[in-house]
Amino acid sequence: MSELAVLFDGVSKRFRRGSGHDTLASLLGASVRRLVDRGGRPAARDTFWALDDVDFHVRPGEALGIIGPNGAGKSTALKVLAGILRPERGRVRIRGRLTALIEVGAGFHGDLTGRENIYLNGAILGMTRREVTAKLDTIIDFSGVGAFIDTPVKRYSTGMQARLGFSIAAHVSPDILLVDEVLSVGDAVFRVRCLDRMSELVNSGLTLIFVSHNLEQVRRVCPRTVVLEAGQVAFSGPTERAIEKYVEVLMRDRNGRGGDMCGQLVDGAAATKSRVLGVRFLDREGGEGVSVRADEPVDIEIRYRLPRAIPRLVVEVNMRRDFAQNVISLNSLRDGVTFAAGEGEGWAVVRLPSLPLAGGQYFWNVRLWDADGGTIEVDTLFEYPLVVNDGGRATGMLALERTWVVDRATVRQESEHRRIPAAL
Amino acid sequence: MTAAALELYRYRQLLLSLTWRDLRVRYKQTLLGMGWAVLLPLAMMLIFTFVFTRAVNVVGSMKLSMPYPLFAYLGLVPWAFFSTSLTGCVSSLVSNRNLVTKVNFPREVFPLSAIGSALADFAVAGSVLVGLTAYFHLTTEWSFSFHRSLLFVPVVILVQVVFTAGLGLLLAMGNLFYRDVRQVSGVAIQLWMFVTCVLYPLPQSGSLTARCLWLNPMTPIISAYRACIAEGRVPLNGHFAYAAVVAGLSLVVGWTCFRRWSHRFAECI
Repeated sequence: MSELAVLFDGVSKRFRRGSGHDTLASLLGASVRRLVDRGGRPAARDTFWALDDVDFHVRPGEALGIIGPNGAGKSTALKVLAGILRPERGRVRIRGRLTALIEVGAGFHGDLTGRENIYLNGAILGMTRREVTAKLDTIIDFSGVGAFIDTPVKRYSTGMQARLGFSIAAHVSPDILLVDEVLSVGDAVFRVRCLDRMSELVNSGLTLIFVSHNLEQVRRVCPRTVVLEAGQVAFSGPTERAIEKYVEVLMRDRNGRGGDMCGQLVDGAAATKSRVLGVRFLDREGGEGVSVRADEPVDIEIRYRLPRAIPRLVVEVNMRRDFAQNVISLNSLRDGVTFAAGEGEGWAVVRLPSLPLAGGQYFWNVRLWDADGGTIEVDTLFEYPLVVNDGGRATGMLALERTWVVDRATVRQESEHRRIPAAL
Repeated sequence: MTAAALELYRYRQLLLSLTWRDLRVRYKQTLLGMGWAVLLPLAMMLIFTFVFTRAVNVVGSMKLSMPYPLFAYLGLVPWAFFSTSLTGCVSSLVSNRNLVTKVNFPREVFPLSAIGSALADFAVAGSVLVGLTAYFHLTTEWSFSFHRSLLFVPVVILVQVVFTAGLGLLLAMGNLFYRDVRQVSGVAIQLWMFVTCVLYPLPQSGSLTARCLWLNPMTPIISAYRACIAEGRVPLNGHFAYAAVVAGLSLVVGWTCFRRWSHRFAECI
């Protein structure tokens, strides 16, 4: 036990629903009511457990990922670890100097220059002035803010602020670093540099706890991952399996909320609108999953409901990586196909002989068009992930079929473990 | 409390950084910069000198041991330090919400840095006293002489800082839980000035009212500044000792309460 860097033992954290008492008047009112009601304690329905008996541990030098849907308790767990929140039950043991990066550039002040903010933020993260001075050039270089370092931060773009913020945090050199969802900003190049920097820190012995919605980032940095669901540990183990578990949780979560693919809750009035009811990714044996192999055929099945007949229905499926540009856009009309769809429920399938994408997490959306009106009937959010598994053979965007030919050397088959690790 | 003090000491750099940030931000994009710390009490001094000598001449009846402008300045500057500190403290946690909910370090740093930046203003405004005393020394029959009592000024400042810190910690915490505190404290500080000997002397002793007025620790503190700067005497009297004791109590109570509740700050803010 004693060699653990972080021990999170049976931790429970309760929050109060509603706004509580913001003014003395409301406190007085509530106190009087309580006296009259003889109610005593606030009712159990006024509170909920954001963390409910959560256990996990991290060994020194290990990188642990924490994933889970919104509201699962990830950020609460980090805040408890950081000592910002005190849990109602359980204990937290930390060995070593801990820095929590819950928001990049927390405490940045718009009126101060980039350089001044580096010193301020450094102090907030526990660095001495001398430490900051020693690392100043490295931090500025890493951030790529360069010429603007003596410009007030309020004139920076959001991306620049985020880059500067991460650069500072990445050079704090704690024993344990907590990182919460900070890499969702900044451009793709910078994000890759951040991931590399985190891997580098872990390789040099730093203990990392990394919370992210981006499964690809977690996979790159953390070999082991905890999946949180509704304040409890749903899974803890190898990241590959954790990701599958997470997507499962996400799907269950969606069904539980009674939502549809638009991310909207179904209510009476909305029943008059066209909806996408579900999308499934099927292999040729009919197996369903949110993880598909890049080199195998896959069918994408879209189930929908229409409030009226659409004689020329167009179905479109788009896929993105990192919420950026579409990687794939499949539109039935461009393929010269429309569907004479009747009122009510129906389905359409697009069959692909393979999905030659580089391994990782993609987000998809579905659009239904009415070709006669040229109107979009349904446009779902890029909210749900599809994990493509290419056996770790490709980075970039595509996993193309290929063979290697050389002139004088001999082609040698490398065994699995000699391959370049995924983090690079 | 020793542990708390040690922890705070480890974060002294942060305290300095935040103080410095407050100052930078307050005077950024101003032409006069820290000149404002001098101009405001100086303007107040001129206004009240005009009111009390020209509009209604009551200065004669005050029986002052120094020219009225000097008397007023010696009241206004420590008072500005006190009220700026408290006003800064009240909103210090709430206006740093982002840090309170996202970074873990002793939360005392926020109100204390508010006092720190007010202290810097105080130092700048105080330095003008050199010119003021010289002016009145040369132009009036009042004369200034260097006296060892000047060495006592840091003690007075310390007592004031300790008193302000205790109160400031309580107010900062109070405002975090109930935003009414900011409104109430704004009015209360205004009122407080009028029962303190900032612009006029208070009766030394005698009536019950007078004795009650001296229960306000700010009155002995401000009198002490005047005593050791302009009157050349060390204010080692019962009133000042009382103020020092109240200041100590204020800090102990304020800090204890603050420590007791600080773990709730992030979720209640």
